[in-house]
Amino acid sequence: MIDPTQGGPAQGNPGQGRAAAGSPTDQRSWIERVPAGYWILGLILLIMPAVAGDFILYQIFGWSFILGIIALSLMFLAGYGGMVSLVQMTVAGLAGYMLAIFGVSAIDTISLGWPWYITIPLALIIAVAFGTLTGWLAVRTEGIYTIMITLAIASAFFYFTRQNYVIFNGFSGFNGVLPPNLFGVDWRAPAAFYYLTLFWAVLAYLVVLYISRAPFGLALQGVRDNPRRMAALGFNVTAHRVAAYSLAALLAAIGGILLTWQSAQISPGTAGIGPVIDILVIAVIGGLRHPIGPFIGAFVFVLLRTFALDALIAVGLSGERFQLLIGIGFLVIVFWSPDGLLGLWEKLKAARRKDPLLDRGGETPGGQR
Amino acid sequence: MSEQLSASITERLGATGTANALELRGVSKFFGALAAIEDISMTVRPGERRAVLGSNGAGKTTLFNCVTGDFPSSSGSIRFFGEDITAFPPHERIRRGLRRTYQISLLFTGLSVRDNVYLACTGVSRSRFSFLRPRRDDSLMASADNLVHVVHLDDARDTIVSELSYGQQRQLEIAMALAGAPRFILFDEPAAGLSPTERSELIEILLGLPGHMGFIIIEHDMDVALRVAQSVTMMHNGRVFKEGNPAEIEDDPEVQALYLGDGHG
Amino acid sequence: MSGFARRHPVWSVIIVIAVAVLLWMMFAIWPKWLTELIGSKKIFLNALFNGITLGGLYFLVASGFTLIFGLMRNVNLAHGSLYLLGGYIGYMFSDWTGYWLIAFPAAFILVGALGIALQFLVFRRMEGQDLRQTLVTIGISIVMADLMLWIWGGDFYNIAAPSWLSGPLETFFVTAVKSSGDLVFLKYPMVRVVIFAASVVIGVGIWLLLNRTRIGMLVRAGVDDRDMLQATGVRIQLVFLAVFAFGAGLAGIAGVVGGTFQSVAPGEDIRFLLASLVVVIVGGMGSIPGAAIGALIIGLAEQFGSVYAPTYAVVLTFLIMVLVLAFRPQGLMGRA
Repeated sequence: MIDPTQGGPAQGNPGQGRAAAGSPTDQRSWIERVPAGYWILGLILLIMPAVAGDFILYQIFGWSFILGIIALSLMFLAGYGGMVSLVQMTVAGLAGYMLAIFGVSAIDTISLGWPWYITIPLALIIAVAFGTLTGWLAVRTEGIYTIMITLAIASAFFYFTRQNYVIFNGFSGFNGVLPPNLFGVDWRAPAAFYYLTLFWAVLAYLVVLYISRAPFGLALQGVRDNPRRMAALGFNVTAHRVAAYSLAALLAAIGGILLTWQSAQISPGTAGIGPVIDILVIAVIGGLRHPIGPFIGAFVFVLLRTFALDALIAVGLSGERFQLLIGIGFLVIVFWSPDGLLGLWEKLKAARRKDPLLDRGGETPGGQR
Repeated sequence: MSEQLSASITERLGATGTANALELRGVSKFFGALAAIEDISMTVRPGERRAVLGSNGAGKTTLFNCVTGDFPSSSGSIRFFGEDITAFPPHERIRRGLRRTYQISLLFTGLSVRDNVYLACTGVSRSRFSFLRPRRDDSLMASADNLVHVVHLDDARDTIVSELSYGQQRQLEIAMALAGAPRFILFDEPAAGLSPTERSELIEILLGLPGHMGFIIIEHDMDVALRVAQSVTMMHNGRVFKEGNPAEIEDDPEVQALYLGDGHG
Repeated sequence: MSGFARRHPVWSVIIVIAVAVLLWMMFAIWPKWLTELIGSKKIFLNALFNGITLGGLYFLVASGFTLIFGLMRNVNLAHGSLYLLGGYIGYMFSDWTGYWLIAFPAAFILVGALGIALQFLVFRRMEGQDLRQTLVTIGISIVMADLMLWIWGGDFYNIAAPSWLSGPLETFFVTAVKSSGDLVFLKYPMVRVVIFAASVVIGVGIWLLLNRTRIGMLVRAGVDDRDMLQATGVRIQLVFLAVFAFGAGLAGIAGVVGGTFQSVAPGEDIRFLLASLVVVIVGGMGSIPGAAIGALIIGLAEQFGSVYAPTYAVVLTFLIMVLVLAFRPQGLMGRA
């Protein structure tokens, strides 16, 4: 099995935190700027179905890509915007619910059975509207309150879906939510689903990477570092933050639709408080400074979730102790590497690059706020 | 319909043509019970260059903060080229052509000089929400390069701001204030902490600004202030103490007792 | 108070009318049409008192949360875990010794000690890094939840109240008139009355501590302006430590109360964390009176909601939160 950390942070700018990476005026063509590590990683990911089994493709990679997309939406808000939103999994869940309610599911008393080309855009629009509204509420207060407000909204959604039987079908939710048989392909077949999720993961990754250097992304990072100055440059700080929530909601909604297809069901537990926190854990473990971080975090998380059970039992502990493992891992990361696994990797590289004569590392990573 | 249109045109002409650049009426700012500035009234004509003098705590920077909306004023009204901007959020004031620099540099230290100026240029342009990266022939990028040139930072164009010297950071502050089409600028102690050479360079930059671009400059250094300003407002304890032309102020015995006497000059 | 009336005349009138209606509904003998409209007075009074006493419990949890947040800007998302731990500790001690009252000091001291350890070992090392501190509390709550599940399992525990508290208390509220003309008085569980009284005492105690003592003044100064407090040369670390210990201890006590009212079980940590979040958002961050008002509102909303609109009970509380955020983002008692 390949380790995405091999390819991931090998790109461009080690230790260049903040907005310093790649000037918008970089003169090279974009193909030249993609480092070799990415080409290798891309090739490996493309030929993966030839070597990996169904379980690996569907459960490990498919799930990693999906969780990665949702965590990426959090990384976008937290890393570039300085807003740690715990509502991303909820947005994903809402998109899944909308898919089930407007589209086809086994609960045909509620599901309207509309065709996919109406259902999917509708699900995306509603989820983005919800994310935007949440953002508008959250940005009305300062920084650290965001985490409280979004957590409260996320749990409100969880309890509401659990109690409401008329629209959300209460505790059991919806099953039998399947992707359309587009182009005659069964998109839930392992290889097809692998490519489907890979496509959206790569697209989401590239979009975030691109926007981070576009005026909107630059300004978002400016708002994160110095909102007062940004207002004095003519930027509407509030509007910028809310717009960031909208974009993040779109990413999360895409992830939510894929997630619903993967398990063919959506229920309150999908966006319960546990999964909501999991997304934060994934993003932080991976690293909030670069869009590859959430995918690394998701991959590690899925590996742990899948195989920790056996490992724990092997050392004589109950498999239930998985949460303990995740919790301790999370604490270790937050304590010793606030930039996640990505930060560890960069530290390692910086240490290797150290010039013994000058005793200087590469560039010093910009400090997290 | 057409009447309305012509009415709005005359209004706009009025707003840009005959009105004063800046008109403060009874502006006060209280922090709790403490009055940082009280009942400030001041009129600055378009193109006028005004120096605001006063000791520390006289309320000069608070005055700037009220004008730009960084802190909303507690009472009074502020008009900018005839338009009442008292209730406007900061970005709306900036988009109308008001600019400022900060006493303590508020720059984006992780970005290059050019990107800082580029950000300032996008802030007052329509593309501030653009999801598209700038192209090579981007007009905003060109104007950013031009501003970098205006403040004599060409050599440091691609330097990350945290690596700039203090004086260069002050120059960058000015470049960012010049982005877009400013009609009026507030300079908050641009010369503080500069070396004599850097000071004369600064004076050169300020004197080189186009004639229609008025400004207010807060400056402790009388040499800088009086060389670039046509009029002077003295502030003391949050109030306007004296107004006049540089020569009058310099010769005023009260001002000398209050300000020049206590070792600032 | 009169200042509020002058600034918000409309709101003052609304509040006065609401209080008058409430008092009338509490003391009057209900006319028939009212009973037909919203059910018997007994149900109403029970919901009202349950809401108020639940509010008392929420206040105990949220006051510690809001104190810690106000002073240290630390959103302690492990606060629910401290609550749950207090519940388990209280259960163990009252079970061992047979004395219910022992549970309170035991929970306060042990959970408070854990609070000291957390502040000393964890938060002091990341001072001024709000986000990182908050992330750490999430990690701690994940770990603590699993450790507690490991130790105490998934069972429900109920902390038994002593016999002198277990009976009902005959109140002076008339719920109905018998055909014979006798008045029927409301009976209400003694333990809830006592516990509510205790939380009022604790609330007043905190208020006095904050407003009448030197350490309270330091804490309040710190809530207003941390930099100022630091600049005055006060040993702010000691103040932080004391407040964290006190806040954690309060959560521990609340755990015992909750364990007596309801039960101690996995999942309660998240429930009470959320309750604290909502209470503090509604009441105003860092404000003790705000926590009291917020707790009362949320307790009442939850109880009335579950009686009169059972499907949407939980949503009602969150709806209140959203409304407050939309119109008064700093909370009812918070400063802008």
